[in-house]
Amino acid sequence: MDTSSMSFKCKQFLMFAGITTVTFVAVVILPFIYGLYLTFTSWDGVSRQKPFVGFANYVSTFADAAYWQALGRTFIYSIIAVVLVNVVAFILAFLVTSGVKGQNFFRAGFFIPNLIGGIVLGYIWKFVFNRAFVAIGESLSIGALSTSWLATTNGAMLCLIIVSVWQYAGYMMLIYVAGFMSVSADVLEAARIDGCTNMQSIIHISVPLMVSSFVQCLFLTITRCFMVYDVNLSLTNGEPFNSSVMAAMHVYNQAFTYKNYGTGQAEALILFIVCAVVGVLQVYIGKKAEVSA
Amino acid sequence: MKKKLLAMALVTAMSLSLVACGGGSDSGSGSAEGSGESAGGAESTGVSITIFNTKSEIQDQFVEMAEEYSAATGVDVEIYYSSDTVAAHLATRYSANDPYTISMVDAKDVYSLGAEHAIDLSDEEWVANTDYAISVDGKVMGFPVCIEARGVMYNATAIEAITGEEFKPENYDTLDAFQGLLDQLVAGGMEAPTGIMKEDWSMGAHYLAQVYEEQSDVEAFVTSLHEGSADLANNEKWNSLMDTFDVLMKYNYAAGSPVAAEREVSEQKLAEGEIAFMFGGNWDWSMINAYDYSEKMGMMPVPQNTSDGSNKKLVGGGSKYFIIDSSENTSAEQQQAAKDFLNWLVFDEAGNKFLTEDCALVPAYSNINADALDPLSISVKAYADGGNLIGNYDYLPDDHYSKNGASFQKYLAGQVDRAGLASEIESYWSSTTPVEH
Repeated sequence: MDTSSMSFKCKQFLMFAGITTVTFVAVVILPFIYGLYLTFTSWDGVSRQKPFVGFANYVSTFADAAYWQALGRTFIYSIIAVVLVNVVAFILAFLVTSGVKGQNFFRAGFFIPNLIGGIVLGYIWKFVFNRAFVAIGESLSIGALSTSWLATTNGAMLCLIIVSVWQYAGYMMLIYVAGFMSVSADVLEAARIDGCTNMQSIIHISVPLMVSSFVQCLFLTITRCFMVYDVNLSLTNGEPFNSSVMAAMHVYNQAFTYKNYGTGQAEALILFIVCAVVGVLQVYIGKKAEVSA
Repeated sequence: MKKKLLAMALVTAMSLSLVACGGGSDSGSGSAEGSGESAGGAESTGVSITIFNTKSEIQDQFVEMAEEYSAATGVDVEIYYSSDTVAAHLATRYSANDPYTISMVDAKDVYSLGAEHAIDLSDEEWVANTDYAISVDGKVMGFPVCIEARGVMYNATAIEAITGEEFKPENYDTLDAFQGLLDQLVAGGMEAPTGIMKEDWSMGAHYLAQVYEEQSDVEAFVTSLHEGSADLANNEKWNSLMDTFDVLMKYNYAAGSPVAAEREVSEQKLAEGEIAFMFGGNWDWSMINAYDYSEKMGMMPVPQNTSDGSNKKLVGGGSKYFIIDSSENTSAEQQQAAKDFLNWLVFDEAGNKFLTEDCALVPAYSNINADALDPLSISVKAYADGGNLIGNYDYLPDDHYSKNGASFQKYLAGQVDRAGLASEIESYWSSTTPVEH
């Protein structure tokens, strides 16, 4: 059989990747192109007419101060949350691979928040911030706790960050655990024989060999933080006074609540581009830093 | 060759199962399907209609009613529900060419959807029996499902326990009298007698909207807001309603951290008599009745020091409207069956019972009696029957409640003063385009 002929290659491709390709095109590529088309219309989301308006939606996107505020807020939130999630996850991963008693139990425990899901997590923490913390603050007369953090602008952002760290640290921990396990014991033993302290062997041996874990974790956390919606919705719903509305929530409101579907779609596209640029850049830089043992 | 055949067979089987999954999830997504099987009784007419319900609290009643209705008339009825934004959900059904025969929508949706998607109901008998039907381009298209109104909810049991005399809301329709009562309650041991819902829809769409709705000429006032010629800060209704809001804020149980007050907690306090007053509407009953509520509760107009009579009226009107689909996807028989269903609601005893007893809705039709309503709805019905409702203004832009609600929250939190709030609202209006109507 001629394995280099075009028809053979096509058959091979269809057999192994045909279904996934069709599905991918149908549910990702086509809606994306259709969405792109909608950014050039003034569709309200319901009407049968989709009047073509050229670049008007992009003009109103650039004029939409609330959108840029939301995007800026998302940047700040993402930077803080990404750093904290990864620091906490790395420390947790180090602790649960260092051979403490019951480390499998701890691994499962830290991972569980990730299984609960953003909406439920948001409601649980809303209760904690609004009632549990306030009750503790009042009974022990701790000033900082006696009013709900969710009622202040900075407090609401802080709450979002805390919940995100709680949610994602366990998941990222698993990836870092895999990273720690993949560092061969030979190398570590050799380092120890050469006189490395524990700290030195982490910094100079484990971390450089785990760069792929960092790349993965950073990519996952960055994209998730930029696209955050569920926790935002259930924990703060943009309150107080729309000061905790993240980019994704603003896009949703613009498209569906305010019925400016075209503008919302254009804003979503810009959010996508920002995310893609940051994500790709980060992976590119990360890959360069990878070393092999 | 054999292997190749096997592989092809596997691929076919897998893609078929994928198609099956795709098709299956489509019909059931996001909707609770009611069983529309007729359980004996009338012979099936072969006509089946779908009803889209958007009031979650009466979904169970609808599903039950559908079964009974099918059994009695032979028309197959299926009930759907979705918590999505109404227009967004319907848009997906329209673009899939699978619209509901009857959809329950909000007033503003009737205006935006009616011309394209709804049939003319002008010739229906029930039109003469209601003041709340919505017409688009001169044709009646929206069938009012119920009446809802806004005002101050009160807990008379809690008030009477302190004052020792019967609570007559009409004695407290001025702000001075109202504040006197609040002081009396505070002196009697109720530390903070009011609550405020900080939700943007409550403050933006319900409280603030009263400022427009109570103007002598609403259209002219809204137009002047659009044009930037309205002077909100010196407007009489604005100042009158804000004076009342200030009093509600002063006696608010959550005054220390008002934007952290949770609606559930406030409603519970009102229901159990820990606070006595809160601005809201008769829809709040669906939350109040989840708690151990007091015996004597009701609704009164927002107290104001005014002589224009608005402190003797609730604000409200028809709420939730049925529209019947006009596309070719709905056959003439289905449209007729849908019209029959609307008539059944208004003119059949079983239909009346479903509306007023099973769903506890305030009927929008003069021929329907309702004795078994909840306390808040009894108040609303009394005001509606007496012609004491100030109508809703249905043409607020879609982002009005969210943006001005946020400004109002700032006021509640003490971050802007009254003049600052007025100018934020004015700048909102001057940056938005008028809603065509």
